[in-house]
Amino acid sequence: MTTLLVLLLLAVGVYCVAVLEAWITSGRFRLAAPAYSAMALLGRESNIPRKPDLLFFEVGPVVLLVATLLAAAVIPLSPDLIITDLATGALFLNAALAYVLVALIMAGWGPNGAYAMIGGWRFLGQLVAYAMLIVMPITAVAMRAESLATTDIVVSQAGLWNIVYQPLGFILFFVAAMGLAFLPPFDLPTAKGELAGGVEAEYSGVRLAVFRLGRMVLVITLAAATVTFYLGGWQGPWFAPWLWSAIKILLVTAVMLLIGRYVPRIREAHLLAWCWKLGIPLALLNIFMVGILLVVIP
Amino acid sequence: MITGQSIFIGFFGVAAVWFGIVVFRTFSMVRSAIALLFSQTALGAMFLTMQAEFLGVLQIMMMATEMSIMAFFMVMFMMDPGGMGKMEMTHQKRLSLIVGLVSFVGAVAIAIFIDWGPVATTVADTAQQTKALGLELLGRSMLVFEMAGVTILTAMIAATSVAIQPLPLSAIKHKKDRV
Repeated sequence: MTTLLVLLLLAVGVYCVAVLEAWITSGRFRLAAPAYSAMALLGRESNIPRKPDLLFFEVGPVVLLVATLLAAAVIPLSPDLIITDLATGALFLNAALAYVLVALIMAGWGPNGAYAMIGGWRFLGQLVAYAMLIVMPITAVAMRAESLATTDIVVSQAGLWNIVYQPLGFILFFVAAMGLAFLPPFDLPTAKGELAGGVEAEYSGVRLAVFRLGRMVLVITLAAATVTFYLGGWQGPWFAPWLWSAIKILLVTAVMLLIGRYVPRIREAHLLAWCWKLGIPLALLNIFMVGILLVVIP
Repeated sequence: MITGQSIFIGFFGVAAVWFGIVVFRTFSMVRSAIALLFSQTALGAMFLTMQAEFLGVLQIMMMATEMSIMAFFMVMFMMDPGGMGKMEMTHQKRLSLIVGLVSFVGAVAIAIFIDWGPVATTVADTAQQTKALGLELLGRSMLVFEMAGVTILTAMIAATSVAIQPLPLSAIKHKKDRV
């Protein structure tokens, strides 16, 4: 029952993200637009390119969707509204999201197209940049909660949200999450206008619909993870816990999309240089500072 | 006694071996790497079935990135990465066969004949397991893990330096002149 409810909320959330994305990128607020474009995608022919690696081509978008749904399973929307409250929830989230990379490599390699392949391998480089900046801030969050369970992490922020307790970690995680979700300015694997859609380039029809759905679930899952780790999860006055989660998640998504609207796409080499030369030392500093803070203010 | 747990362990075990075989049955380097990934993921699933949650999740997470990076290296280094030319890329077959068989027999012998101590009847809760694992890694196993880490790093640096094409002499001279 809980699973169904969470999936339903996720579906509503994905729809809202699609509306938001169209609103922010095109400036027009149209509630029915995602439904129309989904219908158009489902009605269109789904082409298979010449000499593909058919297995990867077919499986890639499905792996993306499954991986993101698994990641969403450990996000608590309220104390009881969670599909599975694993003791290693924060680590499991990472494990599931690691398969986003596998999905993109499969989808990039599968169609036997130059743009798609470059997009897929680009995301591998992107992973080398963002991966540590996802894991190390989570380490500091788990240090405060003394647990990897996502519900414990939310409860640990009852007095003070982590965004105040460890702002540096929040900034690093937020940027890295945008990198993982390949949102602009980190949309290197899809890179519209430069790679002609990259990984998405050779997909059409129902396969493209599955890919885009997986991407939307990925965006909302990462926004939900940001809320869980740094913005106090379901906590807040007046409203029901699940409503607080929903409001916060949509706000975080909107901020992520808005940043992408106004910041130009970053170059892969620059992204790697910034993440490794600045990001990782800062993430270490964050762990160090949280360690000291935990001794001073338990 | 056959329980649901042992059925699942068996299933994931067979899946791990089957994907391991696929690694050598395909000509495509990317397929080969991804097959190895799923073999390792099946191992992670075995850990999960045995209620070693932290180890299972860690295995599943680490392998996804490691095997993808390996796929990239295989595409870079192999002459026919897509496998479309059906090029034979295995070598030293007899030696590999012997080494493989000897290691397999050795591993099975160790598994059967070693004294594993009394079988645990209850499983410690995950937090306790994670703590015990941390103490183990920072205790007597530290040296082993550090050695493994340094060895892998050395291999990576060596592989990269071998892969870099040496500059022709004229280019080096030209560079020196400019400096």
